[in-house]
Amino acid sequence: MSKSTLSTAHRKVDVDLYDADRFVDDVLEEEAGDNASAVSSKETEVRGMLNKGDNKGALVRALKDAPLRAKDQSVKDKAHKVVMDVLMAFKATDIKGAVDALSQSDVDTLMKYIYRGMAQPDDGNSAQLLQWHQKVVAAGGVGSIIRVMTERHTV
Amino acid sequence: SLPRKHTAAACGTARNAAMTSTLKPYVEAVRATIEASMCLENFASQNVERHNKPEVEVRSSEEVLLTPMHISRNAKERVLVEGSINSMRISIGIKQADEVEVILCHKFVRFLMQRAEHFVILRRKPVEGYDVSFLITNFHTEQMYKHKLVDFVIQFMEDIDKEISEMKLTLNARARICAEEFLKQFS
Repeated sequence: MSKSTLSTAHRKVDVDLYDADRFVDDVLEEEAGDNASAVSSKETEVRGMLNKGDNKGALVRALKDAPLRAKDQSVKDKAHKVVMDVLMAFKATDIKGAVDALSQSDVDTLMKYIYRGMAQPDDGNSAQLLQWHQKVVAAGGVGSIIRVMTERHTV
Repeated sequence: SLPRKHTAAACGTARNAAMTSTLKPYVEAVRATIEASMCLENFASQNVERHNKPEVEVRSSEEVLLTPMHISRNAKERVLVEGSINSMRISIGIKQADEVEVILCHKFVRFLMQRAEHFVILRRKPVEGYDVSFLITNFHTEQMYKHKLVDFVIQFMEDIDKEISEMKLTLNARARICAEEFLKQFS
């Protein structure tokens, strides 16, 4: 008998990796808003607007060009922090007005940030985020929640 | 008699005082999220022929899974909703303010989970990091009304909090009565 019949290495091969029908997620190109410098400039602009008291403008700027396809997690974390700062700066009564002024895609992006913010309750933002969630659902409907669930590129 | 530190009023209000303002948005957010996730359709297993498995449990392929969503009221009370094409999982973290409530919650929830067949949608083991879990498949949504399922889960969440409060009150009342009787012999 030849030596190779004694080897059991063939049992360790993961056959599923070589399956032709295996689902491989699309790897899409990074877009304009996805690199670190775009997020840094966004951060400085938003801070400026918050200091001036322009909360609504800061919200629109923070949600524009969200780094959905960034390969680097720290870029996404930074953008998330910027949006959280904007959301916390609002008073409860101003939230409805701000949400009504947003476009449909901005509402969807906002909903993604809200859910991501609630995934980290230790930051203490949950009460305010629940207020935002209530108003965003009133504006965007259940569809905005479904789009958070089904979009593969998370914020 | 002993000083009545743990009267009904003190316990009830202490538990509810700080938090009632976030309760309604929390429950509404959970309701909206569960309603959104409960869009389920039949999906046969892609790996084994003639099998039908809840994909959120099996997690066989990325394409059938949806982004999990968290709703949190604070660090302790939160809900995780994981969806997939034919099933969804709702995991609830129940508020446990002190050690007595931790024990009560654990025992109560364990009692319910041992009788999971009667609840149909209850999972026998909670997901890691949470206290109770539900598994709802497309077969459940075909047999039962979706809005009733959502109402049931929300009702369950609210009733568990009430039950634990009640159990803690009766526990303290019983302990006080026992202590009084015992100490009478020394007075």
